[in-house]
Amino acid sequence: MSSPGSKVQSPESRVQSPKSGVWIAAALLPILFASHGYAQSDARQIMAEAQRRSEAKSQRYEGLLQVLDGGGKVADKRWSFVRLGSHGSSKAVLRFLAPAEVKGVALLIVNHPDRASDQWMWTPALQRERRIALQDRSTRFFGTDFSFEDLEERDVDQYDYRLLGEQPIDGAACWRIESVPSKRKTSQYTRSEVWIRKDNYAFAQIESYVKAELVRRLTYSHFAQLQGIWTARRLEMSDLRRKSRTILTLEKLEYNVPLRDEDFTLQSLRNPL
Amino acid sequence: MRLLRLISWPYLRKHAVRSLLTVVGIVLGVAVFVAIHTANEAVFFAFERTVDRIAGAAQLQITSGETGFTEDVLERVQGIPEVQVAVPVIEAPAGTNLAGQGNILILGVDMTGDRSLRDYDLESGDEAIIDDPLVFLAQPDSIIITKEFADRNALTVGSRLTLSTMVGDRAFRVRGIMRSGGLTSAFGGNLAVMDIYAAQQVFGRGRRFDRIDLKLNEGVAVDAGRAGIQEALGVGFDVEAPASRGQQLESTLAVYAISMNVSSVFALFIGMFIIYNSFAIAVTQRRPEIGILRALGAPRRQIRNLFLIESAISGVLGSVAGIAVGMVMARAMVGSISSMLEGIYGVAERADEVLADPWLLTTAMAIGVTTSMIAAWLPARNASRVDPVQALQKGKYQVLTAGENRARRLGATVLMAVALIFLWIGRSIWFYAGYVSIVVAALLLVPTVSLWFARVLRPILKWLRPVEGALAADSLIQSPRRTSGAVAALMLSLGQVIGLGGVGRESYNSIVDWMNTTLNPDLFVAGSQNLSDRTFRFPKTLGPQISDVPGVAQVQTVRSLRVNVRGTPVMLVVIDTASFEERGRRQTVREAPGGMYTLTKAGRGVMVSDNFARLQKMDLGDTVDLATPAGMLSLPIVGILMDWSDQQGTVVLDRALYDRHWGDDTVNVFRVYVDHGSDPMDVRQRILERVGADQPRLLVLTNAEVRRWILQLTDQWLQLTYSQVFIAVLVAILGIVNTLTVSIIDRKRELGVLRAVGGFRRQIRQTVWMEAVAIGVVGLALGVLFGAANLYFLLEITGRDLSGMYLPYRFPAGIALALLPTILFAAFFSALWPAESAVRMSLVEALEYE
Repeated sequence: MSSPGSKVQSPESRVQSPKSGVWIAAALLPILFASHGYAQSDARQIMAEAQRRSEAKSQRYEGLLQVLDGGGKVADKRWSFVRLGSHGSSKAVLRFLAPAEVKGVALLIVNHPDRASDQWMWTPALQRERRIALQDRSTRFFGTDFSFEDLEERDVDQYDYRLLGEQPIDGAACWRIESVPSKRKTSQYTRSEVWIRKDNYAFAQIESYVKAELVRRLTYSHFAQLQGIWTARRLEMSDLRRKSRTILTLEKLEYNVPLRDEDFTLQSLRNPL
Repeated sequence: MRLLRLISWPYLRKHAVRSLLTVVGIVLGVAVFVAIHTANEAVFFAFERTVDRIAGAAQLQITSGETGFTEDVLERVQGIPEVQVAVPVIEAPAGTNLAGQGNILILGVDMTGDRSLRDYDLESGDEAIIDDPLVFLAQPDSIIITKEFADRNALTVGSRLTLSTMVGDRAFRVRGIMRSGGLTSAFGGNLAVMDIYAAQQVFGRGRRFDRIDLKLNEGVAVDAGRAGIQEALGVGFDVEAPASRGQQLESTLAVYAISMNVSSVFALFIGMFIIYNSFAIAVTQRRPEIGILRALGAPRRQIRNLFLIESAISGVLGSVAGIAVGMVMARAMVGSISSMLEGIYGVAERADEVLADPWLLTTAMAIGVTTSMIAAWLPARNASRVDPVQALQKGKYQVLTAGENRARRLGATVLMAVALIFLWIGRSIWFYAGYVSIVVAALLLVPTVSLWFARVLRPILKWLRPVEGALAADSLIQSPRRTSGAVAALMLSLGQVIGLGGVGRESYNSIVDWMNTTLNPDLFVAGSQNLSDRTFRFPKTLGPQISDVPGVAQVQTVRSLRVNVRGTPVMLVVIDTASFEERGRRQTVREAPGGMYTLTKAGRGVMVSDNFARLQKMDLGDTVDLATPAGMLSLPIVGILMDWSDQQGTVVLDRALYDRHWGDDTVNVFRVYVDHGSDPMDVRQRILERVGADQPRLLVLTNAEVRRWILQLTDQWLQLTYSQVFIAVLVAILGIVNTLTVSIIDRKRELGVLRAVGGFRRQIRQTVWMEAVAIGVVGLALGVLFGAANLYFLLEITGRDLSGMYLPYRFPAGIALALLPTILFAAFFSALWPAESAVRMSLVEALEYE
């Protein structure tokens, strides 16, 4: 087995590196403190490389959210998503397109490298925005199995890492890395385990724990290289306590689209892009 | 025990009716005591439970008076390190437009975080609606109701429910029904949940919240958390545990309880005299048995204990019956007390559970038994002192010795002197001690004064009916102990009627005077027929719009809200001082040099109501501290004025100062003066047409309508007084029936002799009637005298401890005159059955001793 360090140096990986640049994938980097020494620094390098390969100036897609409850009932929602910037200093707007009764509801997320993101929700019927408090970030994101915190795009520096070993996911060789939120980071999760594909540094799976209990599992699939970035176009989040899951399918995905700062303000929430 | 079985039981069985009447006094006293406290507790418990259920898991609540606070406060609170979860809340009552349902409390919450504190367990509907607040939030007409409310009104998920809001009637869609239990049972299920931001719009809150509910981080003690939050927010905010919301209710109920407690004590006092009377007669009637027992060697202690045990048994039976009656009365009273809660939440509390508090029942039992034993103490002691030889002699049963009378008069004189000293000292506890001393002195004088009155009455009665009148008067004169018990009971109850009636009438007159001097606008623009309802408010900008209506001469704005001053929830009335100075001046009690209106207008002081100054023991120059969202506002009192708006007192503040410190530009009521020559009804119509179109809640009330409404409120409060008058009359009847029953039994031989020597039944009947009427007249005379004194004390209590409003002393001659026929009729009515009993009495039995 080659060392993780050598992989990071691999020129080949440069070529096929683009990991899933999906905002939500980066957001779901629940990571935590770990031990120190070789494994720690090695794991951090892998994560930094994964982040670097997924970087894009901006991103746009349409998402189909399918919530499947324990009884197999499916509820669909559609949204459009735009993001400006990347990792820790990005801004994103998510706007619901369907069903009709939620159309126009929007969420503005402003990510910060050194603290939790700011989030506001816009309700067109009321013509006003509301702030999503930090304390509410652990609650479910509008009936999906994602939480508001899961929507945040986190910087690699907000977590401490430890390499746990290697384990394949769907036949693809992966590094298994434990991430623990650093002291300055507020998170509902005590720790997470992240699987990074060795071939393209894309995220393959994340398991998130509250204390010792595994509460959520996010799996990535349907990888494709778009504009040089390896991207998973299907994400499946399972809430293991509720025994329900949500599938997010990304459509019409584009990177580095022209977007302006002023498109990511409270004022802009009122007017669709 | 054996004596009880052999001596007491046969006597009680033989005089079952009298024994029953004896305990009725205790029944009544205990019943009133139990009823008022149980009803109060039931309402208070229901309120606390409601607060608790609405609060959910919240450990602390942050409020800032009735104005609420701006949204940024929430972020400040969420940023406090001790706070784990902080969620905003709006509470607003809304009319349901459903028959018999009244108002419903709308709980506006932010569904994104509120489930950390409250459990919205859904009965039916799409679980995703509540778990996915997106639809709930996206559709501002979404509402979740309780199962109780849904069942009562046949509502299901998807039903439309029209509610009266600040923006008029709005149709809401039921998107969920909460399962029964916990939150849903608050206000008997008249509770609904909606999105807080939608609630802000339909209930005119702007960008403000009413309250923040919060949970502290694990390991943070509530007191420490409270202190930390208070320090972080400053003085304009109250950080309290949810349970402390009962404070205002407590003070409202306390006033009610004081007034009812006085009645309860009077009822017990009266009951005590009835028992005393009955036992005094029983002792007299059973003198032969007592004589035999004493002759057989029974010690005095045994005789005394026999009567005391009898009285204790009467007390127990009376108390048990009193508790039962009291619980029934409590259920009836709960409704009227509950309605007081509407002033706090705007939704009537449904106190369905009227539970017996073991501690209260034990106290009631102890009071009943103790009262009974105290009442029987003197007769029991007299019984134990019976001389066996005298006891076995036949003849007059009762003699009130000259020595006894002298002792009573001496005692009364001493007590009156002591009372005057107490009253001179004047402080609260001494004042009440003086009051009690006067009552006891009056009671001690009853036998002597009754005798005087009976002697005065004798020639009159004899003139009316030579035989029957003389017999009736002699019966009173010869049996002062028997008569004085009934007279004392009557005196107390009538004194209470006159006192309460006097206070009630004077309150009414003063309110009418106050209305005449200060309630002078032609029209009132308000959001509710109920002017004390502060839920509905208008923007201040509506004032100029009303001013522009042709025919309007002047518009004054009034914003009233409850604020805490020295821990008491008083009414803050915010006015345009300059405008009020010109029109709408209150009657001034005292003012600071420089003029109270000028100083208030300049923001250099506040005016307070007379009752506020008295209750808070404050005067001109003293500083009133008002906690505002912008910090503490401390202003001196620059004027004291007459104002009857609030029983806890009123603080009057200038509008400009209020706007600056509270950041609230809303108005509860616009006072409108019309141009000279304009018809107020025409102007009213124009206001409705021009301004009302954009303000669906807007109502225009005429001066006469507002006056009618205030007098209705006053009448409601006076109903309590009238209920006490009813108790007093009941006691009067009870006392007379008891006395006459005893009198007839006592005079069985005398009446028998009268019939044996050819007396007609008609004559016996009339003798009893005249005796009853004579007792009524004596009781009435003493009652009027005692009532005159009692009125003074009740006016003082009202001023000192109830409302702080000092009313002028005016003897209610009308009430006293009205009592004359009432009591005479009651006396006559009370005599009907005893008279018939006397007429139908067996002659043989009556003359058996002869």
